[in-house]
Formats: sequence, C-alpha cells, structure tokens
Amino acid sequence: MEKAVERQKILLRHLNPISSNSSSLLSPVNCASEVSPMAAFGDDIVIVAAYRTAICKARRGGFKDTLPDDLLASVLKAVVERTSLDPSEVGDIVVGTVIAPGSQRAMECRVAAYFAGFPDTVPVRTVNRQCSSGLQAVADVAASIRAGYYDIGIGAGVESMSTDHIPGGGFHASNPRAQDFPKARDCLLPMGITSENVAERFGVTREEQDMAAVESHKRAAAAIASGKLKDEIIPVATKIVDPETKAEKAIVVSVDDGVRPNSNMADLAKLKTVFKQNGSTTAGNASQISDGAGAVLLMKRILAMKKGLPILGVFRSFAVTGVDPSVMGIGPAVAIPAATKIAGLNVSDIDLFEINEAFASQYVYCCKKLELDMEKVNVNGGAIAIGHPLGATGARCVATLLHEMKRRGKDCRFGVISMCIGTGMGAAAVFERGDSVDNLSNARVANGDGH
Amino acid sequence: MPVFKAPFNGYSVKFSPFYESRLAVATAQNFGILGNGRIHVLELAPGAPGVTESVAYDTADAVYDVCWSESHDSVLIAAIGDGSVKIYDTALPPPSNPIRSFQEHAREVQSLDYNPTRRDSFLTSSWDDTVKLWAMDRPASVRTFKEHVYCVYQAVWNPKHGDVFASASGDCTVRIWDVREPGSTMIIPGHEYEILSCDWNKYDDCILATSSVDKTVKVWDVRSYRVPLAVLNGHGYAVRKVKFSPHRRSLIASCSYDMTVCLWDYMVEDALVGRYDHHTEFAVGIDMSVLVEGLMASTGWDELVYVWQQGMDPRAS
Repeated sequence: MEKAVERQKILLRHLNPISSNSSSLLSPVNCASEVSPMAAFGDDIVIVAAYRTAICKARRGGFKDTLPDDLLASVLKAVVERTSLDPSEVGDIVVGTVIAPGSQRAMECRVAAYFAGFPDTVPVRTVNRQCSSGLQAVADVAASIRAGYYDIGIGAGVESMSTDHIPGGGFHASNPRAQDFPKARDCLLPMGITSENVAERFGVTREEQDMAAVESHKRAAAAIASGKLKDEIIPVATKIVDPETKAEKAIVVSVDDGVRPNSNMADLAKLKTVFKQNGSTTAGNASQISDGAGAVLLMKRILAMKKGLPILGVFRSFAVTGVDPSVMGIGPAVAIPAATKIAGLNVSDIDLFEINEAFASQYVYCCKKLELDMEKVNVNGGAIAIGHPLGATGARCVATLLHEMKRRGKDCRFGVISMCIGTGMGAAAVFERGDSVDNLSNARVANGDGH
Repeated sequence: MPVFKAPFNGYSVKFSPFYESRLAVATAQNFGILGNGRIHVLELAPGAPGVTESVAYDTADAVYDVCWSESHDSVLIAAIGDGSVKIYDTALPPPSNPIRSFQEHAREVQSLDYNPTRRDSFLTSSWDDTVKLWAMDRPASVRTFKEHVYCVYQAVWNPKHGDVFASASGDCTVRIWDVREPGSTMIIPGHEYEILSCDWNKYDDCILATSSVDKTVKVWDVRSYRVPLAVLNGHGYAVRKVKFSPHRRSLIASCSYDMTVCLWDYMVEDALVGRYDHHTEFAVGIDMSVLVEGLMASTGWDELVYVWQQGMDPRAS
C-alpha cells in the first residue's frame, strides 16, 4: 500500500509540481485523501433522500388537527416517490417517536406505511431514545444495513405534540424507590429545571440565551424567505378545524409556522421565567412544542450507484453518551467529540452543525464548550424558532443538514447533528457531504469502439 | 487505423527494429499504481481490426517500459514496477518466459533503452535515482550510474556514439554520460520542473530534446547547453515522452498528460505541425517506426494502442 501511495505521489507531482527554485507560484495542495482518512468504498452507508414536513406549533399551528400516521405517511411516501424506488425493496422502516404509548404508536406507524403505499412485506418498528429518537432511527438503519439485515432502510421520526401531551410537563414518579437514588430522582426533573441547572452551573446568562433565541428566529426567517427550505420540505395536504366554528378547511402545510421573524431582545426580556423564579429559561428561549415528521432513505453506496441515485450524504459515525441527568443539556458537548473521534476526525474538521436548541442555556453552553464557530451552527435556525417535535427532530435535522451541505459545495465536507436527551444523555452523528466522496462521477459507459 | 484495446492501462509502446509490423506494449493495472502488469506483442495485419495480439506475458507488478533487443529479433526486455528487469523471448513458448529476471533496482524501473550501435547492452533507469548498464549475457549489471538525486525517468543511448547516453530526471537535470568515464560528463539544468523524458536527434548527435512537467519540450545542443535551441509550447499538461523522428531530422513527437500526441518541427517558426487527440486519458507512450517512414504508435491510460501514419487520423478506420 505504501508503494501505491508513493507512486500516486510521484504521479501527482507531475500534475501539481513544486519548482526547483521554491519561489514558485504553484504550490502543492494536499488532496483530501491525504488529510483525512476518509475514502469512498462501495459499502459506505449513504443517504439518497432526506425529507421532512414543515414543523408547526402544537395545538395551534398548521398540523393541530393532523393525525400522526398521516404526518408520517407523507414523508415515507416522499422518500420513495422522489427516488422512484419500488417500496417493496425497503427492508425496514424505523421510526423515532417519543410521547405516545409504545405499542399504539408502533401500530400507527405500520398504518402510516400502508397509507404511504408500502406492501405487507415491508416491516416497521419504532425506537425511543427521547429527543434523539429520530437520529437513533437513522443510526439503527445504518447499522442494520451494515450488519447485512437488509439493503435499503428508512430511518424516520414523527411526533404530534398536538395529539400527545407530556403529562404535567414532566415524567411522573412511578416508583417510590427512585426517590432513594439521587440520580434516579434527577431523571424525574422537568426538562426546564435541567435547563436552569445548566444555566446556573455553567454561567449562561439570560441575555446570552435571549440572544441565541433571536439569532435562531432570524436565521430561520431568512431561510424561509430565501426559499431554500423548499428542497427539504414536503408539502402536506391536510385539514384544519376552526376551534370555534368547528368548520373543516382543506389546507396545504409547507412552511414552518413557529418562526417569529420580528423576534428581538426587548420582547424576549419581558417574558417571565417558567421553571424557576429569577431563573433564565423562558418560553422565548426554549424549543417550541411542535408537530412534524421526517424520513431518511439509506442504502449502501454501491446499491445507490447501481440504481443511479444521487448521493446526498454519507453516514460516517454515531455516538451516544450518558451524562448527569440533572444537567442533561450538556449531552452534545460530550457526544460530539465522541462521534467525531469514531469518524477519525476532530471537532475542528466539522464544517456544519445542527445542534438541537432544546433550551438556549444548553445550546449556548455546548457551543462555548466546544469552541464552535457560530457561523457553522444552526445556520438556518434551530428548535427555538422552528420547533422540536421530539421524535422527528433527529430525522428532520438530517434533511436540513444534508441539503444545506449540498448547497454549500465541496468546502462543506463534514456535518454533525447532535442533541441532548432527557434523563441525561447526548447523541451525535457525523455525516459527510455526498458528492465530495462520489469520485466515480466521471465514470461512463464505454461503447463498443472504445471511445 | 489499427487500434488495440488492452485490459490494463498502457504505459509504453515500441516498434520492433526487425519487423515492420511488430510492436510491443507495456501495460499496468490500475494506472500503474497497484496491481499486475502485462506485456503485449502485437502484429499489424491488413484488414480490420488491423492489429492482433500474438503473445502476452503477465507480470506481478506494473510494466512501465518495454524495449526490443537489437541483436535478437525475438527478444524483448521489460521494466517492472517491483524493480526487476525481465527478458522475454517470443520464439520460446510462454511457460519458458521470462528467460531471465534481474532484481537489482531498489525501486520501480521506469525505462529501458537498447544500445542501437553496439547492440550488446542496454540501459535501465529507475526511481531509485540510478541508471544501470546491463549486458544480455551477464548475470548482474555491468555498471550503476548514481548521480541523480531523484527518479530517473529515462535513459537514452546516443544513436551515433555507442558509449554515450543521456538521462532525464525528476531532479530537473539531464545528465550526459560516457560509459568510459567515471561520472557524468555534462549536467544540463534544463527545466525548472521535473524532466520526464529525453531523446537524441537521430541525424545530429549533439542535439537532444527534453520534455518536462513545465509542459514544454526543449531542444538543446550539448555544445552550448546554457540556452535551448528551441522551446516548444503547446501542451496543456506535463509532457510525458518525447521522441525524435528516425526519418526527418527536425521532427519530434511528444505525448502528454493533456491526452494529446503532438508533432513538432523545431527548426520552423511555428513549430507545432500536428496534434492528435485520439486518447481519452493521459497519453504516456509513443514511438516512431524506424522501418516504415511516418508510422507512429501511441498508448495511454485509456487502455488503447493506436498505430497510424503521420498525417492520418488515428481513429480513422
């Protein structure tokens, strides 16, 4: 292998030379394969399609009267239709979904698959790792393809927080024994309290949090205005019921309706803190409760090439780490370095981030801890502006991240999605941009006379 | 025009000095970076496809160059990427080949040249910075010339003086040697970038052409080597091989990473007299037949070997 590398170097010098007098206008540039250990292999797990519905405010927004199976069916249908894939070829559909009762929701996901046109033969399951469920679903599908369970899989997420409410805003204490274990007790803390814990322990001020919220809304509004989100959003035809007249109206939802373009510091400063008196977490600097769904179609690179499908992204690594439940928001600060390490990269090699803004406190803390360039994080806004439909978030971030990376071009090579997880965990996944590794794009079918 | 499709990427093509319709091709798998190699002996024949393979020899590593013996009509020598030099006799059955294998070079052997005047010896040049002189009947090299500080891409005998040769190296110099002398007799710092090839003028023993990574071909008179006689611009990328015509004193053929084969007349103001763009990958090997005036062959990484008459379109059938 050494010899091959040496030969390549010598050949490359013929094309990209260094002059014998070193005051040359030409200078050698390390080709990407020297800098990073990434190479393109046929059995890379690649994403050929990633789509999401718009994210709407729960109980008041566009999807308030849309049932979760209809929501999920729309994205499942989209990933298959837009790639002209035969639905029967899908080996499994894994759906991240959090609040609804497990078996009931799993049945609804199966129904959604039928709505989307999948035959009997395509199985469906759900996965629940709280806020990371959508990302976990994608990771599970990638792992299963790699393990050889099937060749094509869909990792999806759905949450209808209009339909399912978090009881009393937190978990209920089901086992009195939990009170005897401090860490177990902390699992029961409402998420907002963990946000206050993070703000206090790591010194994130109310101002910093409000600023992050304003930025989130600003960026999300700019993204919507520019029209770029059309690449990733599937319009959903649904109905909406007027709460007073009960009249039904047919609508098409295609815009994230939680975004407030005129969000500003002055208005946010007026909001009262919700979880702790004289705390810093308000409704304005926390993620919104929302409805939405997302789906990601994965397969091996060699199969994608055979099918002639464009490669949107490459799934490189995934990591979940556990953290102290009382400050669950720090999860990304631990999970992101873990995931990049597995991918053989440094955090500084990552060109774009989608970090779930569960609360501005933990989001600001994580970005500071990892010393991230904020120009690379949540460039199209985050959960504070867009919303956080729990199970769907991970999957919708894949769509947002990969489409943005595609837009940014070859310089945007690696992206990370990460979120904190209630009860004290963090998850992160590393993706690589699709065509920076698709180096067979100049392959052409040779016709008989060799030209 | 005859076209041969090899299974591997072409590296070098040489006409036989004995038979006008015979040529040898050196090829390597995976662009010569990793994998095996193969030597093809081809025969030109009338009618389509115009060229057939008469025998092929497989090698464990890439074959970077091949040359015919000037003393035996069926013998050819191959330069291999694993540092070995192998001798083949097409008159013997394939299982008996190679008849000899010399393993001396520490790195890839890049080129071979058989002495056309003395006919008893040949040169090899290697990426181990050395040139070696060999005789067919000796079990080891006769001499090793070690002065270059980087890969020696080519070593070529002077067509008139049987003891003189030139070597072109990635250290940006051409050295002229006389085998009777202990070291090189002249150093020409010909280019600012690596020199990939050189060849002597067949009609004027003091004229030498060099081709370089700087995309030019330069023609030198060794008697006044400070300034080139001509600088031939026109290639878009590094010029991989240069060859003086055996029939016309000022005609030069060159092939380049820009996928073209060019013909130059360096005595003329507008030197580029022909350009052939038949290859669809790097064009790395060319030869001009000594026996048939105007007959040329080229090969490239597109796995094709073209044989054509100057002035004709290589792709014409």
